[in-house]
Amino acid sequence: MSRTVGRRGGAAAVLLVALATAPLMLNRGDQYTAGLAVIAILFALSYNLLLGGTGMVSFGHAAFYGLGAFTVALVTTKALGNATEGLILAPVIGAVGGLVIGALCLRAVRLYFALLTLAVSQLLYVVAFESYSLTGGDNGIHGIPVPDFLNDPTTSYYFVFAVVAVLAAVLYLVTRSPFGAALAGIRENRQRAAFVGLSVKRYELAAFTIAGSLAAVAGALYAVYDQQAYAGLLYWTQSGIPVIMVLIGGMRTFLGPAYGALFYTVLASKVQNTTIYWDLIIGAILLAVVLALPDGLAGLPARVRALVARYRSSDDARLLIADDVPPQPDDAPLIQMPGIATAGNNAEHAATPAGAILEAHGLVKRFGGLAAVDGVDLDVVRGTVHAVIGPNGAGKSTLFSLLTGQLRPDHGTVIFDGADVTGAPPHRLARRGIGRSFQTTAVFPGLSVQENVRLAVMGAHATTRQPFGTVSRRYQSEVERTLELVGLGDHARVRAGELSHGDQRALELAISLAVKARLLVLDEPTAGMSPYETRRTMEMLRRVIVREGMTLLITEHDMEVVFGVAQRVTVMAEGRVIAEGTPEDVRADTEVVRVYLGDESLLAAGVSR
Amino acid sequence: MTPATFLTILISGLSGAALLFLVGAGLSLVFGALRLINMAHGSLYMVGAFIAVVLIGALTSAFGFAAAIVLASVAVGALGGLIEVAVLRRLYKRDHLMQLVATFALILIIDGLVRVIFGTNFHRVSAPAALTGSIGIGNSSISVYQLFLMAVAGTVAGLLWVLVFRTRLGRSIRAAVADPELLRLAGVNVPLLFTTVFVIGALLAGLAGAVIAPYQTVSLGIDVDIVVEAFAVTIIGGLGSLRGAFLGAIVVGLVQSFGIYAAPQYAQAFIFGVMAIVLIVRPSGFFGQPER
Repeated sequence: MSRTVGRRGGAAAVLLVALATAPLMLNRGDQYTAGLAVIAILFALSYNLLLGGTGMVSFGHAAFYGLGAFTVALVTTKALGNATEGLILAPVIGAVGGLVIGALCLRAVRLYFALLTLAVSQLLYVVAFESYSLTGGDNGIHGIPVPDFLNDPTTSYYFVFAVVAVLAAVLYLVTRSPFGAALAGIRENRQRAAFVGLSVKRYELAAFTIAGSLAAVAGALYAVYDQQAYAGLLYWTQSGIPVIMVLIGGMRTFLGPAYGALFYTVLASKVQNTTIYWDLIIGAILLAVVLALPDGLAGLPARVRALVARYRSSDDARLLIADDVPPQPDDAPLIQMPGIATAGNNAEHAATPAGAILEAHGLVKRFGGLAAVDGVDLDVVRGTVHAVIGPNGAGKSTLFSLLTGQLRPDHGTVIFDGADVTGAPPHRLARRGIGRSFQTTAVFPGLSVQENVRLAVMGAHATTRQPFGTVSRRYQSEVERTLELVGLGDHARVRAGELSHGDQRALELAISLAVKARLLVLDEPTAGMSPYETRRTMEMLRRVIVREGMTLLITEHDMEVVFGVAQRVTVMAEGRVIAEGTPEDVRADTEVVRVYLGDESLLAAGVSR
Repeated sequence: MTPATFLTILISGLSGAALLFLVGAGLSLVFGALRLINMAHGSLYMVGAFIAVVLIGALTSAFGFAAAIVLASVAVGALGGLIEVAVLRRLYKRDHLMQLVATFALILIIDGLVRVIFGTNFHRVSAPAALTGSIGIGNSSISVYQLFLMAVAGTVAGLLWVLVFRTRLGRSIRAAVADPELLRLAGVNVPLLFTTVFVIGALLAGLAGAVIAPYQTVSLGIDVDIVVEAFAVTIIGGLGSLRGAFLGAIVVGLVQSFGIYAAPQYAQAFIFGVMAIVLIVRPSGFFGQPER
């Protein structure tokens, strides 16, 4: 860890010294290019807050660059102000622009978002291009008056360099902060991030606003450095430039985009105007990077190290798993839940008059003509394990999505802990204490195991709003305690994506625990698991529920699991509840047997008892 | 606005819509099946236009004109197949971003190749005599070529409908749109399906470029102009939906032609304004499925 930090620190120092001494070593023309490269570095770094930092693909970043450049140009030539005032105003304009454009574009996600940013920036381009009297249209505004010190090439270079260095340092601190960790969580798993209590869109909007503000500063610096601004700066293919710079340099490291910006700017200055092959060259480079080097130039050494480390650790990991829980014979008594079978451990909860932690009344959800959930009532009693079963397409997953805020019911209400939470978004429910896991495993694959849990803890404490301060070792004891509880204490530094399926489930549970969930909603917690992993998972759930006094609501295909752990079973078919009661009641119900007729799992479970 | 002006603007808008449908339908079809936004779709259109310029210039008869259009479309379809197999196929398992960026790289590469092969000049060819001139309806005169464009788009819309809703291939395409996971389970040859769909998309782009060659000047840069408008079409209509492409094309075509009449400078701005309003009301467009 510290070696990596040292190496990165070293690389940053070399870059800083090289750029700081550039005017001493370069001729006039190359020094001019170096200044453009420094501006490009800020442009690329600001873009990477979105791309590498948050996982947002914008194709309209040039709009903010252009906005910044025109802010300076218009303040100096149209309004009664000077370049300095323009420079101060630019980040404000960029932030406001980012907030407005972001709010519009974030109505959509992913690819739609990318197209929207492109379209909105193109709209701004058209406006800038056609507003001839204001912006000079195609010609733009030239000869922007600047203070005397900016007319000198060397002081002008150092001014640009100083501004970019300071802002890059601030941006670095932001990416290292709890806020930056929340963005990384959104990048790694957007849906999961909402379920640790992050209001994803707000964080994305904040990132978009910051990125827009910094890009506007880059544009404003360009305007004072090159003393011009023109509509072409906003054109959508210009938005491709930060994409190219970031990808060539590498989006996974903080400084990668800076190298990419240097590389691109220098190459462009040497080649662009001397050949008709420029588009071909840069297109081929970009394609080669995409196909062969997804982490860019900066990612190359780390990639090699990761491959080596992975090769080495795979042996250790096997040993750890083997040590973790001793294998049990397959016919060992199935999961028993002594602590909760008699609700005794939870007497204080059970004694409260309103025994239900979660109530649903008359829930209806239609998709087109089909009612996936058709008038469902459900009471989940505090401190119990409650299973919802039913054939495929019975509406279990839809019901769970209604209960956890992913879908809004057409009719009916959801009451959690006495409060009406019908239609509340996932991050609100997470903060109230509903944890959820998914049919597909939901962790943050690119983060380490402890970072996964730490993010959840920070989400629960609302720490992730802090844009400054570091995250390493924050809430360490809470993180460690949670990992111990699910048996992942030894894997704290492993990348979550490299864990076995069963361990990823355990990590999911740890994340739900870390957000202080009181009700845990698990959709097929043992799906795709071997009998051994199933047993281990249920054992772990049992342990955790007893110790933490949680309530558990599950769907499950494996009837053995259901009748082994659940105290209450609800049976669904075709969107309705057809039976509810204790496992014994349900097994005896003729209607249930009819629905399941031919389903051997239920019959087998029934017979084996 | 006189009725005659209105009719002229309407036809002009619908012929623009015809072109936008040809481009947007291909873009949407490819997105629906491959979950890929092909930013280089406009580049394929441009290649179709340049090839058509050469072929229409060489084959001057009316039959030659038809042959030129078909050949140009097929050539672009083949180029699409090459791109899918050589580049895109390697990226399906990676995230959407890398696919998006790869197609952006293709814009640059195709642009560079066209610049090298065809140069930076403006090119012009004429349509056969039967398709030039205009006919009078009441007080207004309607360009025959505009009607030709609408006929082509109408025919293509009909063929696409048959393809998607009446053939085995279409069933696979619809399955891919609905649930890509299901496709693999159903035993469909997915790589072949993806190549086929991409070739069809490229063919449509090439066809659009070819039919537009005699109608406007052909030069570098027509690729990015059209693709941004095609994005607007698919965003309004909903990505992955042919109905959406049809409706989106008509909306954009009409907004554009009436926008030019009202305030020529800001016609393009109107398109994006309408798009923004549609998205505020329906974030996935008229017929799009919300993305998760």
